[in-house]
Amino acid sequence: MSNNTGSGNGGGKFDQARRNFLRGIGIGTAAAVAQPAWGGQTFQDTFADFFQKDYRRMSVDEIEAALERIERKAEARYDVEIDCQNTPPQPGVVYGYAINISRCKGYRDCVHACVKENNLGRDSQMQYIRVLEMDQGDFNLEHSDHYYEPETVPVEGKHYLPVQCMQCDDPPCVKACPVEATWMEPDGIVVVDYDWCIGCRYCMAACPYWARHFNWTVPEIPAEEMNTNTHYLGNRPRPRGVVEKCHFCIHRTRKGQQPACMEACPTGSRIFGNLLDPDSAIRYVLANKQVFRLKEDLGTEPKFWYFSD
Amino acid sequence: MVVIRFIFDSVREMFRGPREYWMWLLALSLVVLFGAWRYSEQITEGLVVTGMSDQVSWGFYISNFAFLVGIAAAAVLLVIPAYIFDRKDVKDVVLVGEGMAVAAVTMAILFVIVDLGRPDRLWHMIPGIGRFHWPVSLLAWDVLVLSVYFLLNLAIPFYVLYSRYRGKEPNFRLYFPFVVIAMFWAISIHTVTAFLFSANPARPFWHTALLGPRFIASAFASGPALIIITLQIIRKLTSYHVSQTVIDLLALIMTTALQISLFFVGAELFTDFYNEGAHAASIHYLFFGLGGFSSLKAWIWFALALNLTALVILMIHPLRQRTVMLNIACVMTFIGIWIEKGMGLVIPGFVPTPLGEIFEYAPTSVELSVAAGIWAFGILVFTLVAKAVIAIEQGKLSCPPEEQRYTL
Amino acid sequence: MNSVFLQCVVGVICLILLPAQAQETPDSQQPLRFEGYPGVPEFEVVPRKDELFFYPCGQCHEAMEPNPEIRTLNTMHDAEIEHGRGRIWCLSCHNLENRNYLNTLLKELVDFDEAHLVCGGCHANRHEDWYFGAHGKRVANWQGERTLYNCTHCHNPHSPAIKARAPKPAPPVRAGLKLEPGIKHERSAVWDAQEEHEEQ
Repeated sequence: MSNNTGSGNGGGKFDQARRNFLRGIGIGTAAAVAQPAWGGQTFQDTFADFFQKDYRRMSVDEIEAALERIERKAEARYDVEIDCQNTPPQPGVVYGYAINISRCKGYRDCVHACVKENNLGRDSQMQYIRVLEMDQGDFNLEHSDHYYEPETVPVEGKHYLPVQCMQCDDPPCVKACPVEATWMEPDGIVVVDYDWCIGCRYCMAACPYWARHFNWTVPEIPAEEMNTNTHYLGNRPRPRGVVEKCHFCIHRTRKGQQPACMEACPTGSRIFGNLLDPDSAIRYVLANKQVFRLKEDLGTEPKFWYFSD
Repeated sequence: MVVIRFIFDSVREMFRGPREYWMWLLALSLVVLFGAWRYSEQITEGLVVTGMSDQVSWGFYISNFAFLVGIAAAAVLLVIPAYIFDRKDVKDVVLVGEGMAVAAVTMAILFVIVDLGRPDRLWHMIPGIGRFHWPVSLLAWDVLVLSVYFLLNLAIPFYVLYSRYRGKEPNFRLYFPFVVIAMFWAISIHTVTAFLFSANPARPFWHTALLGPRFIASAFASGPALIIITLQIIRKLTSYHVSQTVIDLLALIMTTALQISLFFVGAELFTDFYNEGAHAASIHYLFFGLGGFSSLKAWIWFALALNLTALVILMIHPLRQRTVMLNIACVMTFIGIWIEKGMGLVIPGFVPTPLGEIFEYAPTSVELSVAAGIWAFGILVFTLVAKAVIAIEQGKLSCPPEEQRYTL
Repeated sequence: MNSVFLQCVVGVICLILLPAQAQETPDSQQPLRFEGYPGVPEFEVVPRKDELFFYPCGQCHEAMEPNPEIRTLNTMHDAEIEHGRGRIWCLSCHNLENRNYLNTLLKELVDFDEAHLVCGGCHANRHEDWYFGAHGKRVANWQGERTLYNCTHCHNPHSPAIKARAPKPAPPVRAGLKLEPGIKHERSAVWDAQEEHEEQ
């Protein structure tokens, strides 16, 4: 859908070396030119941040510069040296996800692995995944309990339904955005440019899966808990006042790794893979299991399926 | 340059008046300043100082926005009889109506801006240097129609007043096309605002084809209610002539609009409750509460009672013709629609969430203060505009005859 | 009673499977092995032996007389075998003669690292899903090297049901707001009716 002209290759060793070098210069100039009065930022960085173009219009050099600024800002704000990359989508890959709801026991391991992996604000208390507990024989989301806290799960007579961003193929949130700050990448992941979002929250109203979350305050993350492996469109530290969402762990999955929620799942309920690869596990599930999608009647074409066995 | 002199004279007129007038301006300014001070709190702390959450992500600000777009659109109810049916009595006050539209659009836009998480990035919307997601995003549509409506309602009165200022009759042929555009545009701003909500299948409460018509009907009830009160105030405080026939006409329009509006509410209630599906959860929450939570219940029944009582008053001719009763009905309608189309429309859309969670919302003092500041600012804008308009319309303000021959 | 039933089942399975497999492998001297399903993408299995406390089992068992009698063990091994609810016992899966190996129902030796071949003897549907990635867990990647956890990695073979445990904390609400207690979760009317019926 979108032509990702801005995706430079940020993953190479050479790039990293160059960036570290540039970062050195940046810090040098910062110290020489300005006091860290702009929230620990230099005036140049603040200026460049303000006039930063949106991701899809930035040249490779401009993205490089933006990534360096992100790293400098993270250092100033969290005192952590992060590595912010811009790994491009892989050709011939569109991601799909499936959850075996007869396996899910409601442990919420996925939820908390996600919080850690994606540098979600610990005090702003945002979570990308909700696990709903429902009575067996009932699939009405309005009857679900989001805050279940029994001694042990699974509770007899209950079943569990994890919900997160469905990475819709016809995403209503993307249509809603008045400034095109959110779009679908060629590999099917719906991403947000946190530096372009104006925070109107219309996408949150448009999303039928409650997958979009807002930074009501500055996300606070303890330095030792910061995941330093980050991506521009993914888990890099976010500013206040912008919307964010699950991005299928873009910093991991584009390098062939599993999303953190899948890796954390103790029951193996989560299956992730390339929808374009006929030999992938996700395709096996679609071909051999009775699958369904949440709110399919809304025509959003989620790339997220549920099944049971 | 006559035009500069015109602007200068108008502004000077705006700040000329008796002591009471100054006290009024001062009082409004204080509320505006108070609102601005509370807004600075929101700017430094973030939207965390509001009562909004991921569950209820729009609140009091957007509620007021939705309502005020309706008020802005209602100016068309003076524009149509004035320019299309050439009613002299309405023509006398049409500029007041357009001034009200300008004030209402200003407030509506301000309510959106204070709701933004990143107002510093507003320029991202400017086509060219930013990315304006038009025609796909309904919010982009809303920004477009509101800005154009704002300009139309500035330009037409500006031209008319400027002509009067120079002692000439405005050239009807010149501004009539713009009047026609403005008429359709008025309907469009409120339709687009309704579509902004009804475009979302994710929110069954809003996702109804009736929302557009409902918005228009309720706007044509609440708008005239405000205009009727305002015109009476102007009549009382100034020597400006406001014909009773205008008020009668507006009262009649308001009666009809309120009837239609309530009929629509009834149709909505029937459809949702006769076979109550899961999609009726929001309206159930609104009117009866859900899962033990019902903070809007009292408000919506109060609003319904206000609207019904107002309708009874309006429908009985002898009652409607009594100014006191009419005014009571106007106040009731205004407040009733404000609740129904404001909090009563926006909040239940978010309760329960698309995942069925029931989480309530209540505005915080910051939201209430900022909203008060914006309302005061709107009233201030209207006061100033009306002051200049009345002076020019009464012929108190005109340029010296020797300058009248210049075109600009 | 159960073991008699089991033996019958095993016998029937042998009768069905043996001729079919014999056709595919003309050399009847070679042990018959299940080769997996056609079209399964390449994979490796995470080894298990290093993680087994007693392995190699032969260290002790070589010095012991094999006892094929079905009984409850009173040793350092799990006495209660919840697996199969009494229908199977140790030697259904562990080999009598060579304790360093497991065996299939056909008594083919199976290495502990390939325990899934034993499980698959009964749980064929799960086993097939496991091969294709719809059951079980893959290690680390979705792409590239495909390494699968063995069945026994997650399921204790003597008590395979996943145990209930405490969930991680419930979601918080936005900083500065609090969750109102006492939400009444509505439910389908059917369940109310059932409950009433049971009370009567």
